[in-house]
Amino acid sequence: MEIFSIIMILFLIGSAIAVSAIKNLLGAIIAFTVYSLVMAILWQQLNAPDLAITEAAVGAGITTLLFIFTLKKN
Amino acid sequence: MKNTILKEVSKIVIPFIQIFSIYIIFHGHLSPGGGFAGGTIFGASLILYRIVYGKGDAQKKISYKRLMHLMCISLIFYGVLKGYGFITGGSYIDLFEIPLGTPGRILSGGYILPLNIAVGIVVAMVMYLFFTLFYEGEV
Repeated sequence: MEIFSIIMILFLIGSAIAVSAIKNLLGAIIAFTVYSLVMAILWQQLNAPDLAITEAAVGAGITTLLFIFTLKKN
Repeated sequence: MKNTILKEVSKIVIPFIQIFSIYIIFHGHLSPGGGFAGGTIFGASLILYRIVYGKGDAQKKISYKRLMHLMCISLIFYGVLKGYGFITGGSYIDLFEIPLGTPGRILSGGYILPLNIAVGIVVAMVMYLFFTLFYEGEV
């Protein structure tokens, strides 16, 4: 495995731990977006560009929007 | 939202997002992508329009009635075409079949291209519907 993928996996693990550890809700949402973006890069590294497009659009785009607008309502 | 910079920039950016999503949908059987990915990007452009221009302008373009009509028509179209493919595919009934073009062209996938277009329309409308339900509670 390339060195770039290992660095990305370390980022992935760090952001996944940060989502559950951060007490502030907006910070947790931003960490979740970082998780999703790193996951999209990893799908592309694993030769699955189809999933990378879908992950970047759904995970990093629309899920974040839905979370933030739900948080803003409270 | 009253922000001139945001309105002017999104006026330029939104057509490019929609062209890109249509490209992804139409090349779904040749390159990575397909109905779901392209439809999601198209839904994201509709969401951007809704956020920037507000409720009134968005309801003129995409009213609830038009949204439901598009979604139901493409869903019925998907069901009919897929069922027709199932019936004619495996059995020995000599019904009409879509001609297969030369490989590598856009019109070469048989039923895949119209099915991808139907899936893209349904996914885009559902993303917009979810967003408006979360944002303001009504379409």
